[in-house]
Amino acid sequence: MYQYDEYDQRIVAERTKQFQGQVERRLSGEIKELEFKPIRLQNGLYMQLHAYMLRVAIPYGTLSAKQLHMLAHIARKYDKSYGHFTTRQNIQYNWPALEDVPKILEDLASVEMHAIQTSGNCIRNITSDHFAGVAPDELEDPRPWGELMRQWSTFHPEFAALPRKFKIAISATPGLDRAAVQFHDIGVRLVENALGERGFEILAGGGMGRTPHLGPVIGQFVAKQDLLSYLEAILRVYNTYGRRDNIFKARIKILVHALGVEEFRARVEEEWAFIKDGPLKLTQAEIDRVLAQFAPPAYETLPPANALLDSFRLGKDRDLARFVTNNVARHKQPGYAAVIISLKEKDTPPGDMTDHQMDRMAELSERFGFGEIRVTHTQNLVLPDVKAAAVPALFAELQKLGLASANANKVTDIIACPGLDYCALANARSIPIALEIMQRFEDIDYQNDLGEINVKISGCINACGHHHVGHIGILGIDKQGEEFYQLMLGGSAGHDASIGQILGRAFPRDQIVGAVEKVLTRYLEIRSSLEERLIDVVRRVGLAPFKEALFGPPPARTAQELAHADH
Amino acid sequence: MPKPPPQWIVTANFTADGAVAYFRADQSFSTLLSEAAVFVTKDAAEAAVQIALANEHLVADPYLTEVAVAPQGLDALTARERIRSQGPTVRVRRPDPITASR
Repeated sequence: MYQYDEYDQRIVAERTKQFQGQVERRLSGEIKELEFKPIRLQNGLYMQLHAYMLRVAIPYGTLSAKQLHMLAHIARKYDKSYGHFTTRQNIQYNWPALEDVPKILEDLASVEMHAIQTSGNCIRNITSDHFAGVAPDELEDPRPWGELMRQWSTFHPEFAALPRKFKIAISATPGLDRAAVQFHDIGVRLVENALGERGFEILAGGGMGRTPHLGPVIGQFVAKQDLLSYLEAILRVYNTYGRRDNIFKARIKILVHALGVEEFRARVEEEWAFIKDGPLKLTQAEIDRVLAQFAPPAYETLPPANALLDSFRLGKDRDLARFVTNNVARHKQPGYAAVIISLKEKDTPPGDMTDHQMDRMAELSERFGFGEIRVTHTQNLVLPDVKAAAVPALFAELQKLGLASANANKVTDIIACPGLDYCALANARSIPIALEIMQRFEDIDYQNDLGEINVKISGCINACGHHHVGHIGILGIDKQGEEFYQLMLGGSAGHDASIGQILGRAFPRDQIVGAVEKVLTRYLEIRSSLEERLIDVVRRVGLAPFKEALFGPPPARTAQELAHADH
Repeated sequence: MPKPPPQWIVTANFTADGAVAYFRADQSFSTLLSEAAVFVTKDAAEAAVQIALANEHLVADPYLTEVAVAPQGLDALTARERIRSQGPTVRVRRPDPITASR
């Protein structure tokens, strides 16, 4: 993974020192909250309901063991002994004291991490496929390109005050999307053209939030050396023409859809013509410099993993069998596997991890791999390089840590934002809904019978819990100060991306999980085969059977309505 | 039954750690809703917001919110303010010692 050079280290250290002075002035009353707010946000520090919250960037979701140990140390020393992994592959601390934040930033800098640009109207953490570099189906590791984008976007002087925040994701697997690229301000797909050349397909104007949109393709095929100049052209068009008069219409998705794809593309191409062959053109030497930081580790030569993993799946240890079936993924290197560590344990908020678990996980990453851990946008972790033969031993260690849930991609593998338990923007709680769903459907055999189901819960329309793209999406809303929940079906963040549709009136807090159960029961009644997933059924039959399960049969139409329909 | 007349309190977050702060009658700040000063006119509550704003080294972003005065004490009237006054409704890994007034 990328290592800071002298320049990186110096600017992060200087930024930390600068923030320390700003915090001191805020605590003394020399500067007021109105002045301090933009400063703290630029350093990833929010004010939530009960405390400050510090968001730390984990570029493209890749952590070293040393870094995870440091995240554990920070949780233990400055917070309440846990951290919360988010849908943007970041980690958040929910309880830091203001005077401690500069010390936290110093500690982070010592392991080449920071919280810069994790908030504010700038380019945020670059996210990627959590199996990047090990997926057998990818063209190549997308993370070096993520790193090049990170270096380009960090402290970019022109893009420090965009109309609104800006999120970029990159993926490199044809026909598969594990990074939700179609729902980002810019989605980057590494592709191969008809001549066998590799470059990038660039999407722009995707997003969730108040007005969800799938990002259309803007650049069909951008050569590798032109990646940064093309992104710069898109950002310049957005920075120039994006709306600043209305926060709800300020994201690039609004601009792209207001101008139309053709006009937006024309403006990007026009801008690009000026800068394409300028200093942003990537030289092969620069590309090679970054590629070298992501060289594959020293894998052993081993027989293929499939037969061994199949033997675990069919073995007498049914707990291990379920774990291998659901949580172990194929690896490009023979004899190895990628293992999903579910952070969706019963009674634990999705994405939460204690300092003890982080420390032990860092140790396991060294014992069972090469000291690398991935954070997924579904709020789980991945150990990317586990020898297939070592999976039972790893599973035994995970059981001791309470991290052995075999529920990856099942109904209890829920994405949930912090919601009204923590977030100042939320209308309703998300975590208690997630915990109740986990409890009600905890029987793993039932979960396996249901098959792949993604449940995603947001406590407000900002959609940090990705409710628009859940097979089952739940959105918390406020009705006269009380919590209600809208239920939606049919969303997907994958290559077959779609936006979920609302089923009907919102449910009060005590009815929403029962409503989810009715949807699942109806799904089991009407699926055509064990292989037909909930999302497939929704696409085949629409919402009507599920509406009927929730609200009863539709009212009979009057003779007048029928006559009107005949017209 | 006629709706009781509205009453207000002033709340904010402590600058030092972001904890929920309530404006007391003596113009200091408490972490406890039960210690909040209750205002029977909006003008008086807004005047208290101005006092809080003058103490920005102690608290941030003060605002007023309606409460109900019940026999057992003050009741927040929205889910948001109930959660602010009582803390997260889900388990926090290392809870604070019993919340003390400050």
